[in-house]
Amino acid sequence: MASTQDGKVAEMNMLARIRRIPFWSWFWFILGALYFILPLYATLKFSLGMERDVIGFKAYGRAFEDPEFLSTFLYSNVLALMTIIASIVLIVPTAYWIRLRLPEARRIVEFITLLPFVVPAIILVFGLIRIYSSPINVPFTEMTLLQPLTTFEVGTDILIVAGYVVLGLPYMYRSVDTGMRTVDVRTLTEAAQSLGASWFTIIVRVILPNIRAALLSGALLTFAIVVGEVTLASFLGVPTFGPYLFLLGQHRAYEPAALSFASFLLTWAAMGLIQLFTGGQGQVSGAH
Amino acid sequence: MSYLSISNVTKQFGDTVVVDNFNLDVEKGEFVSFLGPSGCGKTTTLRMVAGFEIPTSGKILLDGADITDKAPNQRNVGMIFQSYALFPNMTVAQNIGFGLRVRKEPEDTIKQRVDEMVGLINLEKHADKYPYQLSGGQQQRVSLARALANRPQVLLLDEPLSALDAKIRVSLRAEIRAIQRSLGITAIFVTHDQEEALSISDRIVVMNTGEMEQVGTPFEIYNFPKTRFVANFVGSLNTSDAEVIDPAKGLVSMDGVQFEAAEGTNGRTKGDKVKIAIRPERLSFASEQKKANVVDCTIENITFLGSVVRIQVKIGNSKFNMDTFNNPFLELPKIGAKEQVTCSKEAVLVLDE
Ligand SMILES: Nc1ncnc2c1ncn2[C@@H]1O[C@H](COP(=O)(O)OP(=O)(O)OP(=O)(O)O)[C@@H](O)[C@H]1O
Ligand SMILES: [Mg+2]
Repeated sequence: MASTQDGKVAEMNMLARIRRIPFWSWFWFILGALYFILPLYATLKFSLGMERDVIGFKAYGRAFEDPEFLSTFLYSNVLALMTIIASIVLIVPTAYWIRLRLPEARRIVEFITLLPFVVPAIILVFGLIRIYSSPINVPFTEMTLLQPLTTFEVGTDILIVAGYVVLGLPYMYRSVDTGMRTVDVRTLTEAAQSLGASWFTIIVRVILPNIRAALLSGALLTFAIVVGEVTLASFLGVPTFGPYLFLLGQHRAYEPAALSFASFLLTWAAMGLIQLFTGGQGQVSGAH
Repeated sequence: MSYLSISNVTKQFGDTVVVDNFNLDVEKGEFVSFLGPSGCGKTTTLRMVAGFEIPTSGKILLDGADITDKAPNQRNVGMIFQSYALFPNMTVAQNIGFGLRVRKEPEDTIKQRVDEMVGLINLEKHADKYPYQLSGGQQQRVSLARALANRPQVLLLDEPLSALDAKIRVSLRAEIRAIQRSLGITAIFVTHDQEEALSISDRIVVMNTGEMEQVGTPFEIYNFPKTRFVANFVGSLNTSDAEVIDPAKGLVSMDGVQFEAAEGTNGRTKGDKVKIAIRPERLSFASEQKKANVVDCTIENITFLGSVVRIQVKIGNSKFNMDTFNNPFLELPKIGAKEQVTCSKEAVLVLDE
């Protein structure tokens, strides 16, 4: 009884709150929503209209049947996973150390992490190719330190993952840094230290679990970037999903629309999963 | 040889000396407070004992072992923070067991110790809750239990009660003191609240801008402050300029009004400029039999402070506060009335100008 009443009260509060939002807020919100939803709707409608006068999933069937779709899509997923692992290993200790010991370096590092927004991917990929397509020698000698990475598959994979780490840097660093801000890592670290914990224990048992939500959102954004990326992949000649979709778009009409919409749904599913995983977490950090 | 010995410890950050030649010997089971205004170096000193800062010079010995340069996780020192610093991802029980798990104690030992600690702080019902589900006072108790679970050699508390409201602050400080006594653990407690320090400590170290002003029991610190800073910082105090009249008799003059100090004038000579200091509660209206330090005054103001009535009187050209216990039969003078007040010779402190 009490709970239904509570529910009603909450509902009324909600309505009251909605009514209190000024007209212009609504206007901009709806305009923004339309900006996102209309193209999506158009894509969906188009993708369902492959057969004349019938609404059906034929385009989807066709697209998924293509063996190249599966191979490129899987390849992109593996690369995305590698990128996420590499970024976490690189960024978590860095952001942690800066919060702990080098707060004065924060601005510089933040600036560096924003560089990928300023330097276009095309420049990044030309730089990578230019440097890594010839062998790297020990300075002033003929001794080869590193074979050209672009000449063999694993080398190219390393190169492209490194590139993706750079592209994902702004998102991953920001997520992690914000996550660390919400849980006073410095004091938690000292508390753990005084209880006898080593650096490794502190990072694994105290820091990582408390920035789980931040890591997940950083990982999701990185995933989204990697799976849809075209420039790096096509110039390095790596058979990923991005270039495949691009090529498909030049030869077919309906299938690319279907794939676009499907990958969009996938992203939303991933986001939903994150909400599910981090529902309790949000409360933890929100309690203070 | 004392249990914890901090000798000649100095700490500089760049060119600023934050702690200057700090010397303190703490006995086993003793409860020592660091008291001083903000920025005087209390936290820094405590952090050097914990190992979070390394002294620029000097030594710290714990139970005979030199721990000056040891990493914090190599010392057996418990630390309590103002912000509780509980691990948000762990329950109360997991928080308390963290230190034991780090040391790879067997699971049943951990469980037993955690139960014991949870009982010690009376949070049996909350063992499976997360920190955000607890009140501030409960969280701080958990953090106390977490530090104690490891059986530390010293317990360090950095303003553990500052984030709590007044009532909880008083009850929790009594609880901390009781637990510390029952376990016989050595503790250092940092605070800038003089009442807290006076009520909880075996000894108090009063600090000012990186230096130790005085070390003593609460009784000594309050009744026999050695420096003007201590006298001013601990308790409230009336002070005024005065001049030494007769060093042999301990006579000083304040605008022509003479006071006699039992402690004498500490080797000063006639004509020296000094400060005269008297605590408000040591002044009272003069009755017939009192002979020493009876002076004329005018009533300036009367303020009710609950259990105490504070009467402001003008002696010579100086305004002094006089505190009397409130009671319904108190006969208060009128403002502007001429009266006589008195204080014992022991109440008159002669301090440097
Ligand atoms: N890491 C640091 N680098 C530079 N200066 C510091 C550092 N830590 C502390 N200080 C300075 O040392 C002085 C003493 O600081 P400390 O934290 O020990 O004071 P405190 O007595 O604990 O004060 P409070 O009551 O405000 O906590 C302050 O002036 C502070 O600015
Ligand atoms: Mg402090």
